[in-house]
Amino acid sequence: MAASEPPLPGKRTPALAIVPPVGNVDEDWSAALCALAQQQDLQAFARLFAHFAPRVKRYLMLAECPEAQAEELAQEALATVWRKAGLFDPCRAAASTWIFTIARHLRVDALRRRQGLGLGSGDSESIDEASPGFELADLAQPAAEDRLDAEQQHERLRRAFALLSPQLRQVLSLSYYDEAPHTRIAAELGIPLGTVKSRVRLAVAQLRRLLE
Amino acid sequence: MMMNTIRHHPDDAMLLAHASGHMEAGTSLVLASHLELCESCRERRRELDALGGLMLDTLEPAALAADALARTLAHIDAGTPSPPARRIDTPPPLPLGAEWPAALAHCSATRWRWIAPGMRWSRVTVPESPRANVFLLRIAAGRYLPQHSHHGLELTQVLYGRFHDGRALYGPGDFDLADGEIRHQPVVQDGSECICLTAVDGRLCFEGVMARLFGVLAEV
Repeated sequence: MAASEPPLPGKRTPALAIVPPVGNVDEDWSAALCALAQQQDLQAFARLFAHFAPRVKRYLMLAECPEAQAEELAQEALATVWRKAGLFDPCRAAASTWIFTIARHLRVDALRRRQGLGLGSGDSESIDEASPGFELADLAQPAAEDRLDAEQQHERLRRAFALLSPQLRQVLSLSYYDEAPHTRIAAELGIPLGTVKSRVRLAVAQLRRLLE
Repeated sequence: MMMNTIRHHPDDAMLLAHASGHMEAGTSLVLASHLELCESCRERRRELDALGGLMLDTLEPAALAADALARTLAHIDAGTPSPPARRIDTPPPLPLGAEWPAALAHCSATRWRWIAPGMRWSRVTVPESPRANVFLLRIAAGRYLPQHSHHGLELTQVLYGRFHDGRALYGPGDFDLADGEIRHQPVVQDGSECICLTAVDGRLCFEGVMARLFGVLAEV
């Protein structure tokens, strides 16, 4: 077993020996992003790619992107991750949140293109806006030390979400995944369209209460 | 400076629509203008971004092309063309103490145009969505807008001054959402004019007096 083997000379491996295998959900994706930003670490990028590219592709397919386009955009999203890794701030957001904002931007763009509203100019540039680091009014952010580590917060969020009723989990999932979430939520839950918003508010409020 | 006085905020359903990328470009701009000024809404919005990260993280992976990583790396090596510079128009002048939201920086806006006595407007063009209905209204102290109802959503962010819509008082930094169920008659408070950024989701569709009012606009 790896644990019984002596550490390799010149390497401090005990901590590494218990690191979960590549692709495990417990991998520290923030650390991988930072390694990418600081050392252009190709291995870190490959692990990020293996975990996130297939999920970004699924996310875009759920948003009714044809598969070929979803594939292309997932690659584009991860190329953006590489290029913008230096903007990622582990105090502000978990890695998955940061990558989500990039994917969301590509999804909105793809939708606009499908509707014939797409404009070539400004698209690549506004990817900047997709990164939390670029969001407005940064000056008013609380100091980093006032906030829990973003990955720890993410873990709390994961546990809180799991405690929601299946129905409210579905409300929130569809809100992010579906192209026409309100219509879909009404259909899936068998509730009138007019009551969907209050159900969405209830789901968010309950999640927030579980986080307190 | 204004943060303590903000009393009207977007609800969670609206913030979630924004966080999940389901808002139309024009209404997004109005919401972004509110977030610039409102730390508490920015915090709620951050939570919903984090939830988006969790939603992405928990998706079932889709199969990728065998050469996906190699193609991505090639794409990175090739670099990307630098984006064209944004065209920033000089916005119409504002009264002293009022500031344009940074969210509008890449948009263009017309000069202040006359609608009716004490009422002017400026059309905002959103480059990424030319059909978005975004406009600025500038209304003199003591004036009111004729009562109107809404088709679709109307989002308003108060940039300057105060109005009362029969339900509540709105001041700088306040956000208002009106939908088809609401009939209101905003009255600008005495003492100062009022400037609002407004977006209507869908077609701009006024009835009665407002239709005539905006009919005048079309001819200007």
